[in-house]
Formats: sequence, C-alpha cells, structure tokens
Amino acid sequence: MTKSKKKKRQNDFQKIKLRVGKTKPKASNATNVNFRTKGIHLTDQLKKDDSAPTTHRKLNIKDLLSQLHHYSGTVKQGALVGLKELLTLHPSEVDQHLSSLLSEVAAVFTDKDSNVRMSATRVLRFIAQSVPAERTCPFFPLLSAHLSCAMTHIETGIQEDALKILDVLLDHYPALLAARPALLLTNFLELISHRSTRAGARKSQEGKGRSWDLSVNPSRNVTGQQWRLTVLLRLGRFLQAVVEERRTEDGAAGVSGDMFGLLNGDGGANAHLELNWEDLSYGKGSFQVFEHSGATPTPHSTFKLRPDTEAGAGLSEGLCSVEAVRSFASTLVPLLMDVWVEASYSDRSKTDSAHLLTPDAMALMYQVLSILQLLRKLAPHREHQDTLDVWFRSEYLGVFKQHFMRNFPYGGLDTPKQRKKKDSKSKQASTVAGQTVDPLALNVLLCQVMVSMVTLSQREGPAKEPDADWLMPLRGFVQETLSSGAKLSQRHLHTLLETVWRMVITQHSRAVTEDLLQAVYVQYQQMNLNLQTRTLLLSFFSRLYLQEHNHTHIARSRLLSRWLAALPLQLSQLGHRNPALSHRLLLAIQAAASRGNKDLLKSLHTHSCRLYDPQEGSVVLLPVESQQRLVQLLYFLPVIPVGLLANLSRCCTAGRVSAGLAASLIRIIHLRSSLSGWSVGSQDTAVCDVDYISFLFSTLTGFSSDELSTLQEAGDDSVLPPSPLSPLSLYPTPLEQFTHHWDVVEEVCHCLETLGSRSQCFDVLQNGICKNLTGLAVVPDSMAAGLLRAVARLLDQSFLPSEALLRFLSQCCVSLLSLVLTLQQDVASETNHKREAVWGACVAALSSVPRLLRMVLQLLRVGDLCEEELPQLAQILSLLLQHTTLRNHMLANAALLQHIIQELTRYCQGETREQWLTDLLYCYSVTMAPHRGNLGLRDIY
Amino acid sequence: MSAPMEIVVCADSVGQLWNCAVLDLHSSTNLLSYRGGNTSSRSLTILNGEYILGAQLGKNFINVWEIQRKDQLQQKIVCPGIVTCLTASPNGLYLAAGIAETIYLWEVSTGNLLAILSRHYQDLTCLRFTDDSSHFISGGKDNLALVWSLASVVQLDPSHSPEPRHVLSRHALPITDIHCGLMGPQARVATASLDQTVKLWELSSGEMLLSVLFDVGIMSVTLDPCEYYLFCGGSDGGIFQVSLCSQSLSRDKTFQSDNDGNQVFKGHRNLVTCLSVSMDGTLLLSGSHDETIRLWDIQSKQSIRSINHKGPVTNAFIIPAPANMFLPDSRPGVPLPRFSRHLNPSEQGEGVETAGVCLRLAPHTQTQKETYLEKADKLYSLMSAVTDKNVFGDGENTKVRVSELEEEVRTLKKINKDLYDFSAQLLTKPS
Repeated sequence: MTKSKKKKRQNDFQKIKLRVGKTKPKASNATNVNFRTKGIHLTDQLKKDDSAPTTHRKLNIKDLLSQLHHYSGTVKQGALVGLKELLTLHPSEVDQHLSSLLSEVAAVFTDKDSNVRMSATRVLRFIAQSVPAERTCPFFPLLSAHLSCAMTHIETGIQEDALKILDVLLDHYPALLAARPALLLTNFLELISHRSTRAGARKSQEGKGRSWDLSVNPSRNVTGQQWRLTVLLRLGRFLQAVVEERRTEDGAAGVSGDMFGLLNGDGGANAHLELNWEDLSYGKGSFQVFEHSGATPTPHSTFKLRPDTEAGAGLSEGLCSVEAVRSFASTLVPLLMDVWVEASYSDRSKTDSAHLLTPDAMALMYQVLSILQLLRKLAPHREHQDTLDVWFRSEYLGVFKQHFMRNFPYGGLDTPKQRKKKDSKSKQASTVAGQTVDPLALNVLLCQVMVSMVTLSQREGPAKEPDADWLMPLRGFVQETLSSGAKLSQRHLHTLLETVWRMVITQHSRAVTEDLLQAVYVQYQQMNLNLQTRTLLLSFFSRLYLQEHNHTHIARSRLLSRWLAALPLQLSQLGHRNPALSHRLLLAIQAAASRGNKDLLKSLHTHSCRLYDPQEGSVVLLPVESQQRLVQLLYFLPVIPVGLLANLSRCCTAGRVSAGLAASLIRIIHLRSSLSGWSVGSQDTAVCDVDYISFLFSTLTGFSSDELSTLQEAGDDSVLPPSPLSPLSLYPTPLEQFTHHWDVVEEVCHCLETLGSRSQCFDVLQNGICKNLTGLAVVPDSMAAGLLRAVARLLDQSFLPSEALLRFLSQCCVSLLSLVLTLQQDVASETNHKREAVWGACVAALSSVPRLLRMVLQLLRVGDLCEEELPQLAQILSLLLQHTTLRNHMLANAALLQHIIQELTRYCQGETREQWLTDLLYCYSVTMAPHRGNLGLRDIY
Repeated sequence: MSAPMEIVVCADSVGQLWNCAVLDLHSSTNLLSYRGGNTSSRSLTILNGEYILGAQLGKNFINVWEIQRKDQLQQKIVCPGIVTCLTASPNGLYLAAGIAETIYLWEVSTGNLLAILSRHYQDLTCLRFTDDSSHFISGGKDNLALVWSLASVVQLDPSHSPEPRHVLSRHALPITDIHCGLMGPQARVATASLDQTVKLWELSSGEMLLSVLFDVGIMSVTLDPCEYYLFCGGSDGGIFQVSLCSQSLSRDKTFQSDNDGNQVFKGHRNLVTCLSVSMDGTLLLSGSHDETIRLWDIQSKQSIRSINHKGPVTNAFIIPAPANMFLPDSRPGVPLPRFSRHLNPSEQGEGVETAGVCLRLAPHTQTQKETYLEKADKLYSLMSAVTDKNVFGDGENTKVRVSELEEEVRTLKKINKDLYDFSAQLLTKPS
C-alpha cells in the first residue's frame, strides 16, 4: 500500500522536459484568449427613478452634473445637451439646482474641446434667460471668476469663446457685471495688448511712458484687426453697461448724455405721491409721506454729509472715482489711438485717398470712437464730469486733432465685388464684425467725440480761437447733414442733436447758433416724421428754450422764437390725431407762456379761437390731461377777446369737457378779471367786467340763443307740452347734461357771489334774464332750475326783484314742480339726483323770495284745471306744505292757500272723497294748526 | 397783565383805522396798532423783533415802524418798483423783497443792496426764508419756485450771476403761497398754486415728495410745527386739512374712523389768503378776502372766533411776541440804515456814509473747502496715527510730529490773538 502510494505521489509532480526546438506545451492554467469582447454603453438608464425628472435618456440632473467631470469630451458635451433638454422640459429644476448648475457649467468654460464650450455657452444662455438677475447675484462672483479665467487663458480658442460667454452675461446681467468692473477691464486690455516690460525702465524717465502695447498674436485664425474689433465691441458694450448702472444710481436725470432723450418727462428719481382731495376726504387708502419718519434724508440730497470713499489708485479700485477713471483712460486711450492709426494706415495701402475706408476699418474706428465717448461718461458723479472733460481736453486734444480730423469726412470705400466675395467665403468674419457701420454713423460719432472736447470753462477770451480751426469742418458737416433734407435715423439724429446742443451751449456766438438751429429746423419741418423723431426734435427745441436764461445768444435767437410762435398753429392743426405729440406741444407752449414769451402769446392769441372751439377745437378733442393744460394756458393770455369767451362758455356748457374742468375754467377766468381781487403786482386784467359778466350769464343759462330759438320751434315730440299746471313747456335735458349743467351753475353762482355788491350783481342778472329769457315759451329744465338756484343764492334781502322777473320765475317754478311730480313717478334711481336738485332749487327760491311764493300760488288756478290734474295740484301743495323752511311763508299766504283748497274741495264734491284730498287736508291742518286751530277746517266743511 | 406769549399780526388792504394790528392770540384783544398806509399781501414782516416792515399797496416803498412805537411811522424805504412780497431772514441780517420779477436782497446792518436776482420771468408772489436763514425760496407767477442758497447769492463774484440751488417747476399755474418747514436746509417746503395742487418738496434734494390735487385753486398753505398736517386755503373759502402721517398701522385699523384727519374747515366765503398755526399746533389762524380773520381749533375743526376787518385781509400770522413790543421805553439795538437802491453804492456815488467793513466771501474761498466731517475724519486718522506710533515704537518720528503740531498750535494762537487785538482796536477806536 505504501509503495503504491509513493508511486502515486511521484506521479503528481511529473517533470516536463522542455526541449529546444519543440513548442512549449501550454500550461494547464493558461487563459484562453480566443474570445472577442464588445462594450455595452449605458447611455440611458433602464430603471425609472420617479423621484426626479429625467431626460429622454432617463438621466436625472445629478447624473448629468457628475458626467461633466468625465474626461471624455463627447460625454461632457452629451451631458450639457442633456442638461439643456432637462431644463427646457422642467424649468423648475433650474430653481432647485441653480447653485450646482452654475458652478458645474462655469467650470467647463475653460474646457479644451470647443464643442463643449459651445454647449456650455448655450446652457448658460438658457439659464440666464430664465433666471432673473437678483437670483443669480449670489453666484455671480463664481461666474465672473471662471469668466476671467477663460478670458486670460493661454489658448486663443478659449479666449474667443470667453467673449461669447461675456456676450451672454452682458445681455442678461449687465448690472451685475458692471458692479465689479475692475478685473474685467484689465482682462480686456490683456486681450489686445500686453504689458511692455522693457518700457518699464524708460517709464520713470519719461514720466508719461506707456506700460501697455498693442499685441498681435499670429496664431489666431482671424486677422489682428478683426480680433481687436471683436474685443472692442465687447468692451464698448461693457462700458455701456457700467454707464447705465451709474445712471440708475445717480437718478434718472442722468449724466449729460441723454439730455433730451425720451425719458426727460420727469426728472426725479424718487416716486412722489399723487393724491386727490376727494379720495383723501373719503379716507380711501392711507399714505406715508416721510420714509423712516423723515429721520434720514433721501440719498438724492445735494448736501454731502460724508465724503465719498477715499480715492484709490489704479484699476484695482474699479471706476468709482475720477482718478480711477482717469488712470484707466490713460491706459486705454493710447491703445485706442494705436488701433485707429493701424486701421487707417492699413487702408492707406489699398486705396489712394485717405478718407475712404473699408468696411472693416470703419467698424473698428466706429468702435474706437464709441468707447471714447463712453469713457467720457464714466465720471462717477455728475459734478465730476467737468473735471474729467477738462482733463481729456488737456491730455488728448492734440492727438485727437491730429488723427481724427486729418481726413475728417470719411467715406465708405465702394467695393461691391470684394464684399460679395467675403460674404460667400468667410461668413464667420462678417459675423464677427457685427453690424456694418455706415460712414454717416462714423462721422456723426466723430463729431460728438470732438465736440465734447470743447469745455465750458474756457468760454471767454482769446482761448476760443484755437478751437475754431477744427470746429469749422465739424460744424459744416453737421449743418450739411441736417439741412440736406435727407431723413436721418433716430440714433443718428439723436447724436447729431447732442452735438448741436453742445456747440450751441459752448459757442457764444449768435450767428453760429442761428445757422445750426436753422439746420435743425429744416429737419423739424420735414413731413411725415415718425412720432419718436418728432418728439426728439421737439424736446430739443424746448430744452434749448428752457436753457435761455443764462445764454443770451439763445434767448435772442430769432429762429427759436419763430419755432415757438408756430407751436399754437401746429397744435390746432394736429387736432385729435396724435394726442402724445399734442401733449408735448402743450408742455412747450405752457413753459413759454408761463415765461411770458411775447411771440408765443401773440400767436396763441391769434389762434385761440380755433384752439378753444367748442366743436372741433383741441380743447374738446384731446384727452383729459391735455384739456386741463389748455385750460390752464388761458391764465397766461394777455387779453381774452369776446369771441374766445363765447367759445369758452359753449365749451363749459356743451358737456364735452368734464364739469370739474369747466369749473376750473370759470375759476381761471374769474382770476383774470378785475373782480377777483387776487392780484399781485401790476398784472393787467385780461377780461373786462362787462364781458366777464356776460360770460358768466351765458354759462349760467347753458344754452345759446340759437339753441333756444330752435327749441321754440321744435315739435311737441321732444318737449313736454304746456298745461295749466306747467305754464311753460319744459324741454327735458338728458340726465348727464343736467348734472353737468348743475355743477357748472354752482361754480358760476360762487363766482357771482364773490363779485362784490350783491344787489348790483343781482340787478345785472335780473336785466339779463328779463332781456333774454322772459319771452321764451319753451325752457330747458336745467336752465330753469339753474336760474332758480342762482336767484336763491344771490338775492339780497334789501333788493326788490322786478315784476317781470318774478313772473317768469314763478312760471318756471310751477313747471318745475310739476316736473318733480312726474319724476317721482319714475322709480328709476338715476333720476333721483335730478329730482332732488330741481326740488331743492324750487324750495330755496321760494323760501328766499316770499313774493315768488305768492305768485306761484296765484298761478295755481283750480278753475282752469281738468280733472286729471287736480290730484297733481294737490300733491304739489302738500309737498310745499310739508316743507318746514317754507312754513312761515305759507302761513303768510294762508288766505290764498285757503282759497285754493276750498276750490279743490268744491270741484270734487260730487265724488267720494279721494285719498289725495284727504292727504292734502291733513297736511294743511297740521301746518296751520297752531295758528288757526280748527277754524280753517271748519270753514272748509 | 403779563405780556402774551404769542400774538397775531394782521393787516388788510383798506387800512382805514390802522395799517396793521397786533392781537392777543387767545383773547383777540387789540394790543397795538400801527398807522399809515396799507400793506400788500405777503409783505408784512418783522425784522429781528425790532421793526415791523410792510410794503405799501400799489406804491414803490416799504413802511417801517419801530416795534414799540406803535403810532409813528419811522421810515419809508423807497424801492425801484412796486414791492409784491417782502420777508426778513429769521436771524435779522437780511431783507428780501420781490419787486416785479426780480428779488432784491439787502444786508440789514449796512443797508447795502447785496444782490438783484432776476431768474423769474413774471411777478413774484411769495418769498420765504428757512428757519436757519441759510436758504430762501421764491415763488412767482411763472409757475416756478426757486430755492436759493443765501451763501451763494451773497458771494461776491461779478462774473457769475448766482444760480438757484433748485428749480421747482412742477406747477402748471402761478404759485400763490409757500410755506417752509423747520430744520433748516433739511426742511420740507409746501407750495400752493392756482393749478389746484399743493406740492410738498424736500429742500435738500429739490425733489417732490407729495402732490395733492384739490377741487379748487389753493391760495395759501401752511404746515403745523410737527408737520403732521398740511393746511390749504382754497379759493372757495374752504380750508383743507391733509394728514401727512396717517397712523393706520395694520393692528389698529379696525378702530379707525373712515376719514382719518382729512377734513375741511368751513366758514370763509371767499379766497383764504393767509394761514398760520400757533406754536403748540392747536390753533389755526386764517385770513380771507371776505374781510374776516378766523381762529380755529384744529382738533375739533370749529371756528373759535371771527374778527371782522374793513377790507380783504392781506397778512395774518402768528408769531411769538418780540421782547421789545410791549416795553414803550425800549429802543432797537441797531438803528436801521438807509437802504441803497443800487447794487454797488460806491459807483453810484451815494454810499459815502457807509464806512463799515463789507464782509463777503470771495468767489473761490469756499468752493473747495472740506466738509467738517472730512476734517474730523482727517484729524481722527492723524490722531490715531500718532497713538499707533506711540504704542508701536517709532518714537523718533512721533516726537517730530508732536513738535510740529505744537508749532502749529502756537501759530494758530498767535493769529487768533492778532485778530482779537485788531478787532478790539477797531471797536474801541473813537469814531
């Protein structure tokens, strides 16, 4: 056993002999490699995770973000595409994961793969579109860090793409970018230039040495000029953002830039409260005038309690002080000048004449100029603007003159063939260049930049002379462009007007001003301008006019006064076609009128009848606000002629202006008459007393004589026919007109009350009524009620009204009383006001003039009435009896009253006693009770 | 009887018995009256508690009374034109008058005409100083109210005509009245206008805070001393009270009545031309063209008293009683000089008697000055630098610094002493 065991054991470890030349036998544990593998790509997950939304590949946002760390470019790009898809499908995801999204996406700004960068830009754009600036704010330092990392990257491709990212941010978050400008500005500089090291040594000796030089990177796939253009475009936009940021901080009145832009409507940055007394008195809403209960002044105070932050040196401090702006400008301007020079010289080789430019060069130069223009506006505060201007002038005037003005009116090089080729061949280049710039824009901008170099400080003395040589061509160009009659685009016109503004303000010569304004006026007189352009020109002139006080040459400009004098005519011709423009015109007119401009007032006087025409004048056609301004203008008219007064009276009564406005119109005319008593200084009265009183009277009646005469002849269908109970036939005015007229009457009465002597005033009124109205057979009810109201308010106890007046009034009164009855039957609530007004007028008149009551009672003759009218009469009587203020007067006329009641009872003797008669008798007995006891009643029975 | 604390000064345009009268606020007894002529609206003013000045209606002179000699007209200041409004600065140093569309500013101590400001385009209606006399506000018929800084107006600079600090140009019709609140340059200004609005402005920034539109033109405006309420006198005789601080916090809203303090005082029948609130804010004085002056209790909005006049009331205001007013033997501290009619008296050859020293700032001495806070900051940083150095060694430098500072103090003291000597000599010198 043991033997066999031993043998076996030996067999276990057999020695295999290897021989040279024989193949080596395979080891028993050798791996068989005869198989082929295939990878399994799990682009999408099988399992559905319902907890978070996913893309169509079933990847949720966490997966996608983690994929951004993958080494492979395609995976990263896929993840970015997936992110975009996910976010479009589920916008709520943006809000939840904003922080991680932004940080991960920003991390791939500097990716080596250009496709990844492009996708990252797209995702960023998408996020930027959907997230407002205030929510991105906390993550913005991260974003801008990655951005500047990309901008300063050593690879040119990444640098170029960084500008695209910058575009996105500029589009959506300009304010955030502009809040920390320092780092970005250096980045910009580094993109087109490099710090020159060798100049450093020399710098100390020269003092004014330059530390930055333009650089050209030959490895770029665009030309140096195009690259600079792309960078400068962004720089321009960035500076624009900074300037706008400043402006919002500084208040909307703005740095001198937008002088007569469209936002000059109101200057204050603070929203003020506009309240209405009616709302106030009814306690609608409460308000708080003083923030923090007035403890801290508003930030717009001109009193500076604390100095601004100490001025730091260099760019590191940003652009918040003059010194910082200045040092930045002193770095940038030489670079810009180099760019300009290179652009103009590279063209020189291609063309013969120096002032013709290729589109590329033109675009570049345009950018240079616009950046210069923006640099000027960078002054942190308005008060620093001047110091900055002076500095610019002292530093760079010579250089600018030398380079800009040498070939001044630039023209475009007409190369149609070349452009076509370029378009087809390299589309990219043209898109990089952005918009093509036309030579006009370049020239106009150049004018603006150069004119801004003329500072206000050196307005007097011989210092003006040196500017003349280079201002001359500029002025010539501006004049020519404006007066050529060609239509200019809104932007060009705006720039040109700013240029003209600056020239006019700085040049104290009347001839120059006149020429320039003439040129602008040519533009103004063009037909078919659109609203914006028209408004722009209009506000240019009106701003100029408002500036006149310290510029005598403007004040004396004949053209300006011509423009002013033409305004009223334009307003009247404009009619209702363009309310916005009319509003502008009115503002200008009002400003001039309040300053007592003679030309304007004269012209206003001549056109006043047209403007205030009750049918088609501006005063009835324009919206309420403009109507109000037109009414206010009346105050400034030196003389208000009779014809105008007639028109105004019609305006008040016709109901096309609101009652409140009509009231303020009457009040204004009241103030301008000698009877108002409010006069300060030596202002002549515009209205003579006779005209004023006749104005009041015709407004009181509310109907013109023509209308009244047509009413007399009108058929019976529109008029309530006369009857014994209403001796005059009443014309029922529509409810709206009635209330309007009622309000106007109140105002007129108030004016008449304050005229002075009551009795004389009433005398005048009485004459007017007797002469004009007593003959009428048809009377509008509003007029009748108005007259009664006026009589009641104005009558003095000492004055005895004439018989004719009283007769007319008593007729009115009786007719109105019967109208009240008919209105009472009408249950509709809208006539309530009318009924009460009429009833109130009647009662007031009856109680203030006792004789009127007697005449009314005399008019009520029972014998003339037919049966149906008896109850009406009874009702009138009982109404009068019930009124307490009339009681004494009724008692005084007891005999007359008794007579009427006896008649009444006699007439309906035969029938059963009716309810109305019982009521009347009851009222009668109650009223008369204390005095006559049962005596009266006994007499009746 | 003890002298009253507050008095009412009023004048009407007829002036039959007296030009202007002084009444006791609480009993409305006539205390004093000043005779001669009559006074145009917004042109009665008290100068330094020693004189009463009132511009004659329709004539080109100003009547002046010493405040304690009631009956006697002391002087007439002849002006280049009809004076439409007049006011004296609360510190009694300046007198401003609106003559047609220009403002004339006199220095009271010398009578020199300091400035003629013609920035208004039409007649002036109202002039008001701030309570610290640092600014004044002018309102005119050209719808403008201008805020002037007195320092910049007075500044002697022939080349620049002074510019207003702010132009308040939101009114659409002539301005009728201006009220300037308390707190100097941080005050709030209320302007009333015929365009039926009252606007409240912040003086420091020139911005509008509030605009209230009424149904009628507003002829006068005032604020109570706490600036809780705005009182506006309408052209129909109503006085409107606007509450500027509605106390409607959310928690006590339920207890609130419907109309929170915006109410009308009814009683006058014609234009309310003057309004004034007493010092404690309980009484409102109003003068009207219906020839009455009324006194109202603000809390209950009732008319306490009505005082009849013979003509439309032109001026009525409540002031604390000047000390001199009821002492017949007192004399004004400074005699009133002759007021000159021309800007530069020496050129006109009439200013021979003005031998005083004219103290006015030259153009650029004050422009670049640091503010006090800036100075304080600098000083503080200097001091802290010194202490820092003391603590952290570097004694050498500090000693130098300290000696420099001591030197500085010494020179300053010397200058001060010189100045004192000079002025003392000037004052004690027999003239």
